[in-house]
Amino acid sequence: MKILIVEDEPKTGDYLKQGLSEAGFSVELARDGIDGLHFGLTESYDLAILDVMLPGVDGWGILAGIRRAGKDMPVLFLTARDRVEDRVKGLELGADDYLVKPFAFSELLARVRSLMRRGTKANMDQFLRSADLELDLMRRRVTRAGKRIDLTVKEFALLELLLRRKGEVLPRSLIASQVWDMNFDSDTNVIEVAMRRLRVKLDDNFEPKLIRTVRGMGYVLENNDCV
Amino acid sequence: MRLISKTSIARRLTGLFVIASSTVLLALGFVIGSSVDQHFELLDRDVLAGKMELTRHAMLMVKTKNDLDHLDQHFGDSLIGHHGLEVMVVDAAQSVIFATDNAKFSPQMVIESARKNPENSSLWTLGPETYRAISAELDTNLPRYPVVDGMNLGAFQKVYVAIAVDMAPHHAFMGAFLKTLWFFVAGAAILTGLFGWAAVRSVLAPLRAMREQAKGVTAQQLSHRLAVETVPYEMAELATSLNDMLDRLEAAFRRLSDFSSDIAHELRTPLSNLLTQTQVALSRVRNADEYRGILESNAEELEHMARMISDMLLLAKAESDFAVPSREIVNLGEEIQTLFDYYEAVAEEKGLQLLRVGEGQIGADRLMLRRALGNLLSNAVRHATEHTSIHVRISVNIESVSIAMENTGDPIGEEYLERVFDRFFRIDPSRQRSTEGTGLGLAITKSIVTAHGGKIAARSVGNLTTFTITLPRNADQAERGD
Repeated sequence: MKILIVEDEPKTGDYLKQGLSEAGFSVELARDGIDGLHFGLTESYDLAILDVMLPGVDGWGILAGIRRAGKDMPVLFLTARDRVEDRVKGLELGADDYLVKPFAFSELLARVRSLMRRGTKANMDQFLRSADLELDLMRRRVTRAGKRIDLTVKEFALLELLLRRKGEVLPRSLIASQVWDMNFDSDTNVIEVAMRRLRVKLDDNFEPKLIRTVRGMGYVLENNDCV
Repeated sequence: MRLISKTSIARRLTGLFVIASSTVLLALGFVIGSSVDQHFELLDRDVLAGKMELTRHAMLMVKTKNDLDHLDQHFGDSLIGHHGLEVMVVDAAQSVIFATDNAKFSPQMVIESARKNPENSSLWTLGPETYRAISAELDTNLPRYPVVDGMNLGAFQKVYVAIAVDMAPHHAFMGAFLKTLWFFVAGAAILTGLFGWAAVRSVLAPLRAMREQAKGVTAQQLSHRLAVETVPYEMAELATSLNDMLDRLEAAFRRLSDFSSDIAHELRTPLSNLLTQTQVALSRVRNADEYRGILESNAEELEHMARMISDMLLLAKAESDFAVPSREIVNLGEEIQTLFDYYEAVAEEKGLQLLRVGEGQIGADRLMLRRALGNLLSNAVRHATEHTSIHVRISVNIESVSIAMENTGDPIGEEYLERVFDRFFRIDPSRQRSTEGTGLGLAITKSIVTAHGGKIAARSVGNLTTFTITLPRNADQAERGD
């Protein structure tokens, strides 16, 4: 999976490149708008991450250029300014997503993955599994090692999200918006509490532990035995 | 709307004064001139008619050819030698019988005029002179044919008489009059111009004074105000409006500088923590786990800062140019239920019961409203005493909808009830920088409510703390809300 990053801020660019490379993507980094547009037009990418303010050609210009050239890869904008007009302009030009700086890297990674998944078929299986955990979407039932685990509606939704994005670190904000439709950060540690309760039910009496807290980033469900 | 060109008011007004006074004087001169002219004409006509009457009598005295040849004796002083008065008598054969010195009119014209236009005055020109003239066909007592054998055939000779007055004196008078008039108009124009300019300048003096005062208003001296009492009534309103504008600017400016100092202050602590921690970590070589621990702690600290910054930005936006982005009908019951779902786990941990009474709808920005209510509920959950209930009451009134959120907890002192909505306000300073919140939740709630044209109030009675949001039901009214 190839990603084009156009970012003029040196540190941001380096960290984005490193982070995404380590997450398993093949990353090309352009330091200004002119290089960015050139790469965008000549190479083929699965995703482009564009800064809005760039020397040479700005993010809008690059987006317009690659869309004119008929390339329809998803485009994610990074912007330091959170202005409604900017969003509207980006959407009109065909941007797919938006992140306002400062953002959490885990949030970016989650967005990148979901943008790349877009278009590929959603997993329509009846069962989602990890190790001996099994979630039955049809019957809304969860079992671990064959034992039935009772979950509330929201806990079920939370577990479903973690299983669907197995191995990805999910930031709290993403969990809040996907599970509870809350698009703001709460002053209260709602996600921590919900996660703790889910782990009590899921992991306390079982091995291996599936849900892991990544401090400062979020939560991930993974089967460490396989890693 | 008429576009007003950008010229000086003094110049425009002076110009207007000059034009107005000249126009009035010119019109007055025209009226006076034409009535003087008419008066002259009337006088002339009277004179001419009188003279014609005299002539008629004189002509009737003419009985012989001799009489006719010596007409001047019959006319006498009243007709002849009168300066400016000319008399001419011609017979039907167009030969001049009598004429005063300057009466050089053509006999044909005299006869034609007498026939076509008897006894009516008209203007005749003779060389450079203009005359007002009257002509008539008059009878004499001179028989047309010589008396033969004392027999009179009963037909008498007719003569054509023209009497004319020279108009030169009138023209001279009118010329002088017009000259005087022009002189006055020009003088008046200059005078009104000067006076007008002076008057306008003195009237506009308060404006210049205001300009000088306005120059004194700078970012450092926003408290400077224009003196409303010293300016004329018409400008007092302007001064008041400008002062109001300054009030708003000052308030906005103060909020902005408060905002800057607040954020600097609130960010200083986490920043210095980060810096110290990182420098200590770098001071000697550590193992990977230690580095990981430090980075994780840094990440948490940084996340907190990032949240604070985005909250501050939201607040700044809310307080500067907050237009409610989109309005839709929000079902408050459902909204509260969604929030209950979200906070359910935390509430259960504390043994809290979340209860809702009432239903209601309101036109609002759903995400904004959810955030406002979410912050309130989060606040209630955080401060509620364990094993109590949090009550949310929705009530619909005629003009407004109110949402009251009540929790049991430590009472809030009277003096803090207003201040709980301030940024970074914490009743207990020792709880400063709790890892949980940014201290901006209630401030954000308040600005969202304000942007919707609503009000929020905090009440503390005994152990019960109640926050009540009141939102106007009329969306238009809300849009105008301050």
